[in-house]
Amino acid sequence: MHVYLFQRFITAFLTLFGMSVVIFILLRLVPGNIVDILFSSAGFVNPAAKQEIAHELGLDQSIPVQYGRWLRDIARGDLGKSYRYDIPAWQVIKPRIPVTVELAFFALLIAVILGVPVGVLSAVRQDTATDYLLRTLSLAGLSMPSFWLGMVIILFLVSWFGWIPSMTYVSPFEDFKAHVLQFLFPALAVGYRSSALIMRITRSSMLDVLREDYIRTAWAKGQREWIVVFGHALRNAMLPVVTVIGIEFAFMIGGLVVTETVFNLPGVARYLVDAILWRDYPVVQNLVMFIAIVVVVANLTVDILYGWLDPRIRYGVR
Amino acid sequence: MNRPSWRLWVCALLAVFPVSVANSAETPKPGGILNATLLEAPPSFSIHDETTISAVWPAMPCYNNLVLFDPLKKQESLDTIIPELAEKWASQDGGKSLVFFLRKDVRWHDGQPFTSKDVKHTFDTIRETPDITSKLRVNPRKLWYENVESIEAPDAQTVIFRLKRPQPSLLLMLASGYSPIYPAHVPVAELRPKCLGTGPFKLKEYRQGELIEMVKNPDYFVKGRPYLDGIRYTIIKDRGTRYSALQAGRQDIAFIWEVAKTISETTKHAVPQLVLVETSTNVNDHIIVNFRRPMFKDPRIWKAINLAVDRKGYIQAGRQGAAIIGGILLPRPYGVWGLPEEEQRKLPGFGDPVKQKAEAKKLLAEAGYGPSNPLKFAVSTRAIPTYVDIASYVIDQLKQVGIEATLEQVETGVWHPKMSRGEFEVALNLTGIGPDDPDANFYENFRCGSIRNYPDYCNPEVDSLIEKESQTLDQKKRLALVREIDKRLQLEGARLMLGWSKEYVLMWPYVKNLVPHQSIYNYGRMQEVWLNK
Repeated sequence: MHVYLFQRFITAFLTLFGMSVVIFILLRLVPGNIVDILFSSAGFVNPAAKQEIAHELGLDQSIPVQYGRWLRDIARGDLGKSYRYDIPAWQVIKPRIPVTVELAFFALLIAVILGVPVGVLSAVRQDTATDYLLRTLSLAGLSMPSFWLGMVIILFLVSWFGWIPSMTYVSPFEDFKAHVLQFLFPALAVGYRSSALIMRITRSSMLDVLREDYIRTAWAKGQREWIVVFGHALRNAMLPVVTVIGIEFAFMIGGLVVTETVFNLPGVARYLVDAILWRDYPVVQNLVMFIAIVVVVANLTVDILYGWLDPRIRYGVR
Repeated sequence: MNRPSWRLWVCALLAVFPVSVANSAETPKPGGILNATLLEAPPSFSIHDETTISAVWPAMPCYNNLVLFDPLKKQESLDTIIPELAEKWASQDGGKSLVFFLRKDVRWHDGQPFTSKDVKHTFDTIRETPDITSKLRVNPRKLWYENVESIEAPDAQTVIFRLKRPQPSLLLMLASGYSPIYPAHVPVAELRPKCLGTGPFKLKEYRQGELIEMVKNPDYFVKGRPYLDGIRYTIIKDRGTRYSALQAGRQDIAFIWEVAKTISETTKHAVPQLVLVETSTNVNDHIIVNFRRPMFKDPRIWKAINLAVDRKGYIQAGRQGAAIIGGILLPRPYGVWGLPEEEQRKLPGFGDPVKQKAEAKKLLAEAGYGPSNPLKFAVSTRAIPTYVDIASYVIDQLKQVGIEATLEQVETGVWHPKMSRGEFEVALNLTGIGPDDPDANFYENFRCGSIRNYPDYCNPEVDSLIEKESQTLDQKKRLALVREIDKRLQLEGARLMLGWSKEYVLMWPYVKNLVPHQSIYNYGRMQEVWLNK
């Protein structure tokens, strides 16, 4: 297990290093930098002033030097200065991370609460009216983009109740009810789509497991349905479901851009788009690295969970 | 005895009631927080560094000017300028000196006293005089003060602007939202992430990209102002969400530069009690031909382009009805200086579209282009929906006269650098003018070598006329000169004007004294705004 974990940590480190190079180079391949944008919005170009600002921001140095400086700063715990806001990048990023993580967590919670039981029910009642209904609902969830669903929810709330959640972040310590309402609707929009995916994976995995000999034995022994389904079948059917949940969480962290925009939540994903448009390199680089870290950690966690869910899996043993 | 019928009582009440309501409605009530909307985070709070309404709108309440356009009058002109930090002013030496007498009772938000040194510091910084201690990052309006020879501060309450020649427009530019006074004791760079002014509101909190919160300045020099306790500018990026928030009452006023006729009207239809104000943006739409390119040396080519585009169709298709036709300067009823409609309609491009298209084809044929040898070029524009919509309409119009134009969408970040370098053939562009003023427009866009003279148009005769109008003190004579220049610029293809966009400002009826002007940049002070809740 320890050898396996060590190998995985090394792989994760190398992945992140590769990501840092890709992020850094891709960002600089996009035409224009913050200095161009500053002058672009002003409608004119002053070459001397441009040169001065580029020098001040270190953008006149070679790409390897800029890259080396970024890594050095990260190692020191310094995320640099946001070119756009003229304040430390960490000050801009810090309040956004909990918002996105909380939204992703809520959405995933809704997805699991809806997706797993519905998937189990659909498998147990295979090819019945219930199964068809649940599969139709899940297909609808997969077909509707979450941002579209978000817009529909907003319009529904405005049209029917003349109300929408707060447009600025409400801390749970300030107003718990408003905080929950602020996250509930976007989490529903995102969670419904993910629940459809989880439901389908749960259903197909359960169908496989329910045909196993040991399940037939359990039925033959006259065990109760809920013990057979939840005690024996579901635990063994969970492996692919856990994988999907892990991937969905990682995907959500970077993929909530439009949902955060529609519900005006000040999260990482929405801000990342802004930062890219402004070529705010320090913020973009560090935010993308943050998302990469989440993806790597989520994958690692899923791998470790395998061993707990299925004791037959023994890491590092051949 | 006959008792008066109940109908009579009702009539009497109805007669009295509106009067009493109207009277009470006119008495400002102090207190309350105005929930205003922004569509993006301001690039900074330093107005002198910026050129976008997203910066001016939330930063204006923090500052004061020497003078300001009266926020309660919707049309800005020399006659609507009111004192702010200057109690009064006088023109001396035949218009070559402008003297401002400053208020004594003004303090900066950090408690320091305001003096003439602050005024001198502000405008010397913009003019980039050799003795300045800190520089602006981007200095987009240096040109406005090109005619200022020196600024003197003989005592703490007097400032003298010495001019190279008389310039009546200077006062208009000083009255713009783009001309706040900065504190001399704070480095300019520190005013980018925060604001420190003398204005009616102080910055309380800025959550980057989310919220700007202002609170009433209790030491404000105008007693009894501001009426509001504070302002919350919420940044809402999605247009649908912005209007939903307004409809749901989360916001009191929409953003003032949406240029969204249809959605505004739909929202008004859904919530009839909302107030919809139709006004101007002081932003014009135009086609630019690059005179550096050999093909446009032949005037028949750009004249044909100008004649090909149906302006009525541009308003309907390109702007969905949210524009008016006009020339170089904003026309009436919104503007002061623009050509009257009957004169504008006589100019090429604004006549009968069928006849004009026939004429365009004839010009192209004379220049050697026809169905077997069509004229081809790219129309560049910014990759922003409004720009692309209008450019697509223009391309369609050009096709109707046999020009094969293609659309080139340019990312915003590289748009102006590309334009400044002249790397385009034909472009579709939008230009916003700070104050509705000839100098602010002509000097930036049309003089030989001007910073935003993208087509590289140059006519020394027109330059002389611009110099002449700029120093003409008689308003009637100046207006005549301005109109002559406007016509010449259009006839010479300096910009192929399409029209001026209109704005539709939505707000709840309890928002009082927020009067949209013809220019979006000049009425954000919020000193007079109050809530009738």
